[in-house]
Amino acid sequence: MENTKKIQELLMNAIFEVFEKMYFVFLEPVDEDVKYDMVASINFTGPVKGCIDVLFTRGMAETMTRNMLNVDDNSITDKLIEDCAKEAVNMICGNFLQKYDSSKVFDLSIPVFKNKSGVFTKQEAGAGENVCKLSFESDGSLMGIEMSVC
Amino acid sequence: MSFNVLIVDDSNSMRSVIKKIVTISGFKMDQCWEAGNGREALDVLSKNWVDVVISDINMPEMNGLELLDHLKKNETLKEIPVIMITTEGSDNRMQEAFKRGAKGFVKKPFLPEEIKKILYSVIGVSENGEYKEDTGTVDECDF
Repeated sequence: MENTKKIQELLMNAIFEVFEKMYFVFLEPVDEDVKYDMVASINFTGPVKGCIDVLFTRGMAETMTRNMLNVDDNSITDKLIEDCAKEAVNMICGNFLQKYDSSKVFDLSIPVFKNKSGVFTKQEAGAGENVCKLSFESDGSLMGIEMSVC
Repeated sequence: MSFNVLIVDDSNSMRSVIKKIVTISGFKMDQCWEAGNGREALDVLSKNWVDVVISDINMPEMNGLELLDHLKKNETLKEIPVIMITTEGSDNRMQEAFKRGAKGFVKKPFLPEEIKKILYSVIGVSENGEYKEDTGTVDECDF
């Protein structure tokens, strides 16, 4: 339980750092369900194995892309959004693993992006200690993140 | 005095972001070339004068560490300083990159000031254009 709490805190700090530095987005943790439109995923292997899925609403992904590339709304394409979402999950994973144990070497997979919609529920009863689920809001846009550790 | 930079990353968006961050950092950049992997980087390097390379590690076809190995074996290119830029900055990974010839290391996400200091440091020039004697290796923790 203590370990789960620590992992959740490290993951949250990694997300905040990446979003603030790279996307100029300031996130607030929320308890709401997230009706997401797309998912970016990455796997990591090493002393600990697992995967991270970041679930974005279209609004959140557009804000990130606009801020990261300094482009206007008309210049945002699906390809740029995909690139931006994959880079986000890549940076979150790398940042989290470094915070988790910088003395160990982890291998990260190439991020995968899917246009897939659904509803992300933050914490389901019985989700288990190996799953960490968080949701965030910024200026009315939402995102969720789920990390599973094997 | 301004410098030619080669940015190597498989993400087109990330290359744009790195270029933007280097530009707003105030680093005096002249030409900026881009490559999507190590192989493309070698092609750019064979045709152009590059002062410093900023390279991702995880890339398809030829990754950043393999690029370092190729540069090390090439008499013409081995002196070009390479800064590795990556999301996963474990101490062991950094040491491995330094052993294989990297001169600097930056973890994404990074601030303009961080990249500017590392760029000038690995090139061996102070921000006002004076050459330094020994650049050694440098990572962002030194700042």
